[in-house]
Amino acid sequence: MAAANQLTALLNNMYATGLLDEQFQQLQMLQDSSSPDFVSEVVTLFCQDGERIIGELAKLLEKPSVDFDRVDAFVHQLKGSSASVGAQKVKNTCIQFREFCQSRSKDGCLKTLDSVRTEFYDLRGKFQTMLQLERQLQGFYPK
Amino acid sequence: MAGAAAAAERRAIRVLLVEDEEIHRVLARALLRAGGGVVLDEAGNGAEAVRRVREGGAGAYDLILTDRQMPVMDGHEATRQIRALGVTTPIVGLSSDCLAADVDAFIKAGADDFTPKPLSKEKLNRILAKFNLA
Repeated sequence: MAAANQLTALLNNMYATGLLDEQFQQLQMLQDSSSPDFVSEVVTLFCQDGERIIGELAKLLEKPSVDFDRVDAFVHQLKGSSASVGAQKVKNTCIQFREFCQSRSKDGCLKTLDSVRTEFYDLRGKFQTMLQLERQLQGFYPK
Repeated sequence: MAGAAAAAERRAIRVLLVEDEEIHRVLARALLRAGGGVVLDEAGNGAEAVRRVREGGAGAYDLILTDRQMPVMDGHEATRQIRALGVTTPIVGLSSDCLAADVDAFIKAGADDFTPKPLSKEKLNRILAKFNLA
């Protein structure tokens, strides 16, 4: 029961701190016996996409002449996948990021990239803990 | 018994999902599967969607859901080309950008409706009800 309590506390904390929004509950409702790993699948895709996109953004923003349209396209992609998984904080930071892209502000983009990176890795860590606790509850790992 | 017979006879809804990103496809698949009675086809970009519609004919799909920003051909251009084929299947644009200009661009291209991402059970039910597919 410890794992169940930890999982509940973790998720409550993620909602309370604005890391997650109600979209995540939509994902949980779609998980059933015919699709028992649905949440894990979506979360894993988000984490993979997020890591890749943040890497691409860092490379683009290192260049002396920044292609803001390409930066914006990647941020748009991250915003979309964040919204799909319920990653509210990351999504909201992406909205700010796009404003800096549109105003062609390299400094603004760099600062916001730092914020997105921090928020993404914080969320990814919590998602990893969540998935480990769920596996414990499913009995995949011996207690 | 009458209800079961009616359900069995009800034809499945054929949906074409046009979306390049796997995370959005996974979510859409799950939502459409949860509703039941849907045969889902997928295209990874607008050009592939146009090809599928052209090959399938005017009645190939009951509903087309299309993302806006995609490689090769975007959702606006795909919508224009599908309409140019004379296909009147309901087309719903999807995007995480939902400024008035984005919605207008889809409608001007020939889409029947627009819904902001992420797709949800409520949004999908609204779309299916609007086009009498529920």
